[in-house]
Amino acid sequence: MGIFEEIAGEIQKGNAVSVEGLTKKALSQDISAEDILNNGLVAGMHTVSEQFKNNEIFIPEVLISARAMNSGLSILNPLLEESKVESKGKVVIGTVKGDLHDIGKNIVAMLLKGAGFDVIDLGADVPKEKFIEFVKKENADIVGMSALLTTTMLYMKETMDALQDAGLRQGVKVIIGGAPVTDSYATQIQADGYAADAASAVDLSKKLLGQ
Amino acid sequence: MKSGNIPVLNVEEDTIPLAYENVIEAVWEKGVSIRTEYDRPEDPPSRDATVIIVVRHPFGQPRFHRSFADGLGGLAEYVMEVVHGAHDYWVKPVEEIMKGKESKDTRWTYTYHERLFEYRIEDKVVDQIGYLIDKLSSTGYSRRAQAITWNPKLDPPTDDPPCLQRIWGRLCEDGEGGYIYNMNTHWRSRDLFKAWFENVIALTTLMRNIAEAIAKKTGKEVRVGRYVDISDSLHIYGSYFREIEGNPEKGIKSFFEKLKSRSFEERTWDSDFIKPHFIDDGLGKGLRPMLEREKEMPQKVRKAVEEELRKMEKKDYVV
Repeated sequence: MGIFEEIAGEIQKGNAVSVEGLTKKALSQDISAEDILNNGLVAGMHTVSEQFKNNEIFIPEVLISARAMNSGLSILNPLLEESKVESKGKVVIGTVKGDLHDIGKNIVAMLLKGAGFDVIDLGADVPKEKFIEFVKKENADIVGMSALLTTTMLYMKETMDALQDAGLRQGVKVIIGGAPVTDSYATQIQADGYAADAASAVDLSKKLLGQ
Repeated sequence: MKSGNIPVLNVEEDTIPLAYENVIEAVWEKGVSIRTEYDRPEDPPSRDATVIIVVRHPFGQPRFHRSFADGLGGLAEYVMEVVHGAHDYWVKPVEEIMKGKESKDTRWTYTYHERLFEYRIEDKVVDQIGYLIDKLSSTGYSRRAQAITWNPKLDPPTDDPPCLQRIWGRLCEDGEGGYIYNMNTHWRSRDLFKAWFENVIALTTLMRNIAEAIAKKTGKEVRVGRYVDISDSLHIYGSYFREIEGNPEKGIKSFFEKLKSRSFEERTWDSDFIKPHFIDDGLGKGLRPMLEREKEMPQKVRKAVEEELRKMEKKDYVV
C-alpha cells in the first residue's frame, strides 16, 4: 500500500496520531504538500463523505475522521501557504444569531474542508455584521448559514439584506440549511441554494462555483 | 395499527447500546403512524409508541453507541449541561418566557439542570435533586424522592417544552451492607433516533452522581442499579425515514443494513475510547474547549466542570 492510501485509510479509521505521523513521513520522502493534501487527506475525507452520504457510517465517526484530517492539515498548512496552493473556494460559514445549535454546520464545514475548500467557521450565534466582516476580509466565494429553529431561521433574511446593503451580494453565493429550512424558503429570501444535508451542501457549493 | 390505541412496548437489555438498537427496531416495526407538531407538511407521519425501557447495567461496556446526532465533544458538553448546569445561563428571564411565541429573545426557556436543581415556584428556588439526595439518605426506602421539570405556568405557551418530566429514585439494600440506587425517568415526548441516546448518557451520569452523593452522606456503599426510562411518546420523526429506510436505487443503506454490516463492537465504543474525546475532540468541542470558549459561564458552574475534567483525566474514571 502506498503512503497516500495509508493516509486515506487512517483518516477513514479516525486515527489522528497515525495521520500526523504519515503526513510527516510523506514530507520526508520529498512528496509535495499539495500532493499529500489532494491524494492523501482530501482523498480520505472524500471516501468518508461518500460513506456518510450513503448512510454507511455514523455522524460521530465523520467527526473523528475530520479530526484525523485536521491533524495532517495542521502540518501541511504552513507549507501550502508558502507554495500558494489555491483552494477550491473560500467559504464563510456560521449558525445565525440567536441560535446555538452547531452540529449540522460543523459537519458541513468538515466535509467542505475535506473536499478541498478553504473554510472559515464563525461558530454559532453569528450576527450579520460578523458575516459581512468576514466576507469582506476573506474575499469569500460562498456564505453558508445554518439555523435549527423556526424563530432563528428568519435571521437568514436579515443577513441577506445586510449583504445586499453592504454591496457584497453580487460577489458571493449564499447557501442555507438546517432542520426548519426548505428549498422554498431559500427561494423566498433569494439565497442561491438550499442543502438538505451535509453531503448535498458540498455538491451544491461545487455546482455554484462551476466545479 | 388501526385500533386507535397507541402501542405500549417493553425493552429490557443489559447495556445502553443494546437497548437503543432494540427500541429503534421495536418502534419502527410496531409503532403507530401519527403526526407531531414538529412534522413538516411534506414529511410522512412519525412512528410512535409508549415505551418502557430497562437498562440493567447503565455503566456496562460498551456504553456508547455510534449512532447519535453529534460529535463526542458535543455529547460531553451536553452531559455537562444536564449534570452541572453548564448552559443554565442560556435560559431567558421569566418575563420573556411568559411572552410565549411573541418573544423575540431566542435564548432557551429551560434546561433540565435548571428545572431539576433550581426549580422556580412563586418566589422560591428549589433544589429538587438536593431534596432527593437528602430524602434517600435519611429514608432510603422512601417513595417520595422525586424531581419534576414541568412548570404549568411557563411551559404551555412555549414552542419547545421539556421532554423529561420527572426523575424518581429509591434505594434497595444489596444484602452486603450497602445499597443499590434505582432510578426511573419519565418523559412526555422523545425523539428516539436523535435524542434518546444522548439523554440517557446524561441522565445515567446524573444517576451515578446522585448515588455517590448519597454514599457520601450516609457513609454506606451505594452502587448504581438498573435505569428505567418511560416515555409516553417515543417517536421516530417522519423526516428521518430517509435515513431509516435508505434508498436502494441511490445506493443509500437503510439504518438496519448499516447495523447488519458491522459487528456490535464496530457499532459501539467503550468508555476508555470516549474519554480523550470528551476532554477535547480536536474540533473545538469537549470539556477543555468548552471552558475556554464559554467565558460567560458562571464561576460556580465553571468550577464544577473543571472538577469533572480533573476526574476525567484520572485513569479509573468511567465516562
